[in-house]
Amino acid sequence: MPRKLDFDDSLFADLPEWADVTPVEQYEGVNPVAPIFYTPEYTDATNYFRAIVQSGEKSERVLDLTENIIRQNPAHYSAWQYRYETLVSLLPTPTPSSHPLLTAEVELMDELAVLFLKTYQVWHHRRLLVQITREPQRELDFIKKGLQVDSKNYHTWSYRQWILGFFGGKGSISKEGDEEIDEDLWASELDFVDTLLATDVRNNSAWHHRFFVVWACGVREGEEDRERVLKRELIYAKQAISLAPSNPSAWNYLRGILAHTNTPFSSLVTFAEAYAYPRESVDAKQRDIVDLENPLPSESADLPCAEAMEFLADAWEVEGGQEKIDAAVTMWTALANERDVMRKKYWEHRIRDAHLGLRGGQKKTTTA
Amino acid sequence: MLPPKTTNDGFPTPTSLSQSETEEMLIKHIPDDTSQKKPTLDKKMHMSFLVRNLVQGFPERYISQDASQPWLLFWTVQAFSVLQVGLDPGNKQRIIDKVLAWQHPDGGFGGGPGQAAHLLPTYASVCILAIVGRPGPGGGWDQIDREKMYKFFMSLKLKDGSFLVAHHSEVDVRGIYCLLMVATFLDLLTPELVEGTASFVASCQTYEGGFASSSHPSYSLSGDVLPPPAARPPLGEAHGGYTFCALASWVLLQPYLELSQEKPTIDVSNLLRWLVHMQGTFIELGGFKGRTNKLVDGCYSWWCGGSFALLEALGVGGIQNANSDEVPIDSGTGDGVWDDVDEGLYNRMALQEYIIYAGQHPTGGLRDKPPKNADAYHTLYCLSGLSSAQHHVFPSHLRKKQFLDSWKSSDSTKDELRKRSFGSILSWIEEEGASHILGGTENRLNATHPLTNLTITHTEAITAHFYEQDVPAKQRSAPTPTRAAAATA
Repeated sequence: MPRKLDFDDSLFADLPEWADVTPVEQYEGVNPVAPIFYTPEYTDATNYFRAIVQSGEKSERVLDLTENIIRQNPAHYSAWQYRYETLVSLLPTPTPSSHPLLTAEVELMDELAVLFLKTYQVWHHRRLLVQITREPQRELDFIKKGLQVDSKNYHTWSYRQWILGFFGGKGSISKEGDEEIDEDLWASELDFVDTLLATDVRNNSAWHHRFFVVWACGVREGEEDRERVLKRELIYAKQAISLAPSNPSAWNYLRGILAHTNTPFSSLVTFAEAYAYPRESVDAKQRDIVDLENPLPSESADLPCAEAMEFLADAWEVEGGQEKIDAAVTMWTALANERDVMRKKYWEHRIRDAHLGLRGGQKKTTTA
Repeated sequence: MLPPKTTNDGFPTPTSLSQSETEEMLIKHIPDDTSQKKPTLDKKMHMSFLVRNLVQGFPERYISQDASQPWLLFWTVQAFSVLQVGLDPGNKQRIIDKVLAWQHPDGGFGGGPGQAAHLLPTYASVCILAIVGRPGPGGGWDQIDREKMYKFFMSLKLKDGSFLVAHHSEVDVRGIYCLLMVATFLDLLTPELVEGTASFVASCQTYEGGFASSSHPSYSLSGDVLPPPAARPPLGEAHGGYTFCALASWVLLQPYLELSQEKPTIDVSNLLRWLVHMQGTFIELGGFKGRTNKLVDGCYSWWCGGSFALLEALGVGGIQNANSDEVPIDSGTGDGVWDDVDEGLYNRMALQEYIIYAGQHPTGGLRDKPPKNADAYHTLYCLSGLSSAQHHVFPSHLRKKQFLDSWKSSDSTKDELRKRSFGSILSWIEEEGASHILGGTENRLNATHPLTNLTITHTEAITAHFYEQDVPAKQRSAPTPTRAAAATA
C-alpha cells in the first residue's frame, strides 16, 4: 500500500486510497479574522483529519495521516490524541512488547523526540507508550542522550523524573501486576548528575534532579543512614560552592537540604563566613586552617559573595536576639546598598520584618 | 558608568558563557548617561504590529501554533486592551463568531475548529469572549455551554486533585490555572470540582521556592492516592510560568479553602525569595528570568513580575498588609521611617527599563530579548508585565465588602462558595495615584487584573453576568491605612 508520509508533491486529495473520505474545511460559513497562512500540504492533511475525527475511523491509514500532520506541526495535540486512541484500538490486549505496530511507534518517537525536543506532546506520547511497553530503562538511556544535546530541557527532565517515580517509586506496578519498587532504575542517577554538574556546575536542572533523587522520592536502598547522606550532600554542595561561589543553584540546593532535614542554617555559619566578606579579611582569619568540611573559596572567586551574605543573615535572623538581628541587618544593609542593589526593596522588607519579630510584633507567617 | 558583569568566579561553564554573551548584547541597549532621549514605549508601532496580525493574519511559520489559535487571538486582542484600544463592533462580531467555531460539541473549546477540547484553549477562548463578547444572541457569552463545560472539567479530574489538560494528555499547573479561571468566570466552582486541587498545587512547590509543572501522584496499586508522608515529588524545577499558574490557582482556591477541612500549606517566604531572585541585575536591565541560572526573557515580566501582586492576596507586601506604617529601619536609606511599603518588593522601575530598552522590536511588537524577533506571545506578556510594573492593583478589603454587601442571594446550597469567589475575584482594584510610569504618562498602559490578565472592567462585566449580580460603583479606592506619601510618576 502506498503511504503518504513525506513531503512529496502528492496530497491526500490525490491518493486513491483516500477517495472515500470527503475532506472537511476548517471554517465553514465564517470569515475568520487573524487567519494563519497555511501551506497547501497542511490544509490538505488537516481537512482529512477533521473528516476522520467526524467519522470516528480508527485504522492504520489514520496513523499515516496523523504522522503527516505531526511532522508538519508537532504541537497538534488533537492529532496526537487521536493517534494514541487509534493505536490502542489496533493493539491486542494484553500487548506483547514486540508487537510490530508498537515497535514501529517507539522507533518513530525516538526520531521525533530529537526533531521536536521542545514540544510537550512528543514527551507525553512516550509516556503513554512506556505504560504499554513497560521498558523504563530504555527510556532512561534514551533521555540521557537527549540531555546531552539540551541539558536544561524542561520536558526531558520532568519525563525522566516521571519515569523514576512511576516505575521506581512507591505504588509503582510491575509487569506482572505486583506492587514493587524497581531500585535498579535509580542505580546510576547520582553518577549521571555528577557527570552533568562536572560539565556545568551551574546547571540548575541537574541540581534539581539531585534533590529529586536524594530527597524528594523517599529513601533508596543503601541510603537509609540519613545522617550520612546529609553529611555527604553538604560536602558535595560546599565543594561546588568553593569552585564557583556566586552560583545560586548550589546555594539553593544547600538551603533546600537544610530545610528538608530541619537542620538550622546556623550550623553552617563557619562555612558561609569565608565567602561573605572581602578577601583580605577572610584570608587573614582562615589562611592557615585546613578544614575539609569547610572548603575555602577558590583563589579566583569574586568575594564577597551575595549568596553567602544572604545565607548568614538568614541564619542569624532565625537564631534571634538583639545581637544576631543587628548582625543580620548589617548584612541586609550591605546587600541593599552595595552588593545586590537590584533587590533593595526585598532586603529592606527583610530588615523591617526582622524588626517586627524582635519587637514581639506579628511576624509574617511563612506559610499560607 | 556601565553596571558590572556577572562574575564567573574565574570558573567559566556553558551557563556562564551564555550569560556573558547575553550581557554583551544587553549592554548595547542601556542608554548612555549623556542621552537626553526619554524612554518611550512606541505604542503606534506595536499597534501596527497587532493590526497586521489581526487583519492580514499570521505568516506560515505560525502553522506551529495552529493548535493554539485561541491563544494567538487572545494575545492579540488583550494586547489591544492593555494599549487602551477598543475594537469596532464589526471586528468584535467576527472574533466572537470565530471563537464559537472552536467550541467542542462535548464541552470546552479546542485549539481550532474540529480540534479536541483542551483546558488551555478553553481559557483563551473564554478570555477573548470576556473582551469582545456580550450577553444575548450572537454575543458569545450565552452560547458557552456551561453544563457541558462542567462535565468536560470533571472528566479530566484525577484522584490526586489534578487535571489532565485534555483526554490522554499531560497534567500540569497551567491547565489547573486555566480551569479555575474559567470556572470562576462562569460560576462553575463547586467543592466537588476542586477537592484535593489545592494539595496538588502545594505539592508542586520545589525546594527553591518556585513551582514546577506538576508533581508525581504516588498512586497505590488500587489507584488511590497514598496518604502523607508518601513522596509526592515535583516533576521539573521551579519555573516562572508554572509559578504564576500555581500561585494564581492557589489564590483562586482560597474561598474554597476557607470553607473546607482541607488545609494544605505553601511556603510563602521561600516563594517570595525565589521570585525576587528571578529579577536580573542592572546589566540585565532588571528583566526577569524563568529559572535559576537561566537567561532573562521579556515574558517573565508578567509570569514573575506579575506574581508579586498575587502575593498581596496572601498577606505579603502592599500597604494593607503592613503591620505598622512607622517601623524604623536603619539601612541608611531614606529618613529612617518606612513610608513607602506599598511600592512593591521588586524593582519595578528597572523592569520597565528592560521592556522599554530591550523588549521592543525596532519594527514593532515585543520580544524575549534582543536580537530576537517579536511575536504575539511576547508582545502581550511584555505589555502585561509593563502594566503590572506601572500600576499597583491590589485585593481591596473595602471593595470586597462592597460586593459581598450587594450580593443577591439565591437558594442554592452552594451559595457561600459562589459568593466568596465572586467577592474575592472582584476585590482587585487599582490604587489611585500609585502609578510609577517610566518615561511619563505617554507610556501609560491600562492596568490589568493580576489573576485574570484582563482589564478590571472586562473581568467585572463577564463575572457579574454569570453570577447574575450587579457591579456596585467604585468608592474612592484609597487603601487603608492612608498612604503616608503621595507617589510620583
